Amino acid sequence: MSADAVLKAAFAMPLHSPSYPVGPYRFVDREYVIVSYRTDREILEQLVPEPLELAEPIVKCEFIRMPDSTGFGAYQGLAQVISVRYAGELGGYTHAMYLDAHAPIAGGRELWGFPQKLARPALSVERDTMVGTLNCGPVKVAVGTMGYKHKAIATEAARTFLAEPGFVLKIIPDVDGSPRICELVRYRLRDVRVKGAWTGPGSLSLYPHALAPVADIPVREILSSVHLIADLTLELGEVVHDYMA
Amino acid sequence: MRADEVCKAEFAMPLHNPSYPLGPYRFVDREYLIITYRTDREALERVVPPPLELVDPIVKYEFIRMPNSTGFGAYTESGQVIPVRFNGETGGFVHAMFLDDDPPIAGGRELWGFPKKLATPSLRVERDTLVGTLDYGPVRVATGTMGYKHRAACERTVTESLAEPGFLLKIIPHVNGSARICELVRYHLRDVRLKGAWTGPGALSLEPHALAPVADLPVLEVLSCIHLVADLTLSLGEVIYDYHRPPLALERNPWTA
Repeated sequence: MSADAVLKAAFAMPLHSPSYPVGPYRFVDREYVIVSYRTDREILEQLVPEPLELAEPIVKCEFIRMPDSTGFGAYQGLAQVISVRYAGELGGYTHAMYLDAHAPIAGGRELWGFPQKLARPALSVERDTMVGTLNCGPVKVAVGTMGYKHKAIATEAARTFLAEPGFVLKIIPDVDGSPRICELVRYRLRDVRVKGAWTGPGSLSLYPHALAPVADIPVREILSSVHLIADLTLELGEVVHDYMA
Repeated sequence: MRADEVCKAEFAMPLHNPSYPLGPYRFVDREYLIITYRTDREALERVVPPPLELVDPIVKYEFIRMPNSTGFGAYTESGQVIPVRFNGETGGFVHAMFLDDDPPIAGGRELWGFPKKLATPSLRVERDTLVGTLDYGPVRVATGTMGYKHRAACERTVTESLAEPGFLLKIIPHVNGSARICELVRYHLRDVRLKGAWTGPGALSLEPHALAPVADLPVLEVLSCIHLVADLTLSLGEVIYDYHRPPLALERNPWTA
């Protein structure tokens, strides 16, 4: 193996059995329960990095089940997404994300900059209720509930929502601990095929945890609950702002 | 949050509650079971990146229990280290590592470039035997066994071996999938306080797995076995070779000047 061959083969660690493969990252039957809630504007203003602008003091708490994910397998997640605007366009800034599988955590952090941690998120049907939970070790930190498929909504509305860009803050340190990469990254979902979308009564409880501080963005009022199932492809990102430039 | 504050505050993701804190990373009562074995030279030549040079066709298979790790918690690790030489200095190239804890995986990969994956390693005493195992999901991929504290090992030799540098291949992709960072990194363990070291009979078996291919470096002969307990500090690393800019790396690096 020559030094040139190392660079040519280099995509992710470990070189000879990378933690995640090259995409495209297609998700089949990706299922969401998204509970949107109003919170305190001052808190969000501290969290949303410029040049993103806070749109409304609204957070989407997303419980996501991904049973068939190309290259990543079967796993579940929870994300807190803040409504933002960038260059006049509405989008979602992913503030925090918790997953139960390593490949999408390593790939999510290192490729795009998704702020992902390992925990135990889950989304399931419990008789009449969609139940989303997040546990960190033995501690429960989030519980979302929603009436199961109470009212269908137009798939077009769901598609519009999924067409909004996502934003993440990619931070990777150098070997001496100094900043190496600090960038605002935008990504999109493409080839979205919505298979069903519903609304219904919803609730969300967040509990304090030192390392999974979802409750630092408190729930003041539940605004909506959406349950949707879609096939989609997560595209690679593009840097829209380099904080070190 | 202002853009200039982002740059100042940043260390790791997520910005407001990073997956791992800043060091120093001190380990107390770190316990190793290291089984050194002979393997195929050709298999090693395929995985050791130049400018590192292969010394002998030898692999150290390590099971490590870390009950008290500053900033990282309590966790266990298992992996393969290949003895190599860089500019005349011998050290260990960390080829593969499997851990059961997120902060040291994220921090290990992103800070140094440790090739870490999530799995279920363990190291424990089972009556008369020190047993190390590695499971990936429901599949057992490594089992190491050693007679428990049969003979004291030479502490000077063990201390010298812990003083050798470690080498890593740090790779981080750009958002477009190209290799943004591709560097050879060297690190050292500092302030090592050896609390005990033993040798004894040992055995190792490795089983195939698609994503935990430890068996790709087959066990041809077990050469030695060591069990040790130490306190130590894992230092930050230094880039000794940049695959994107080899000439510049050579200038920067006093070793090769």
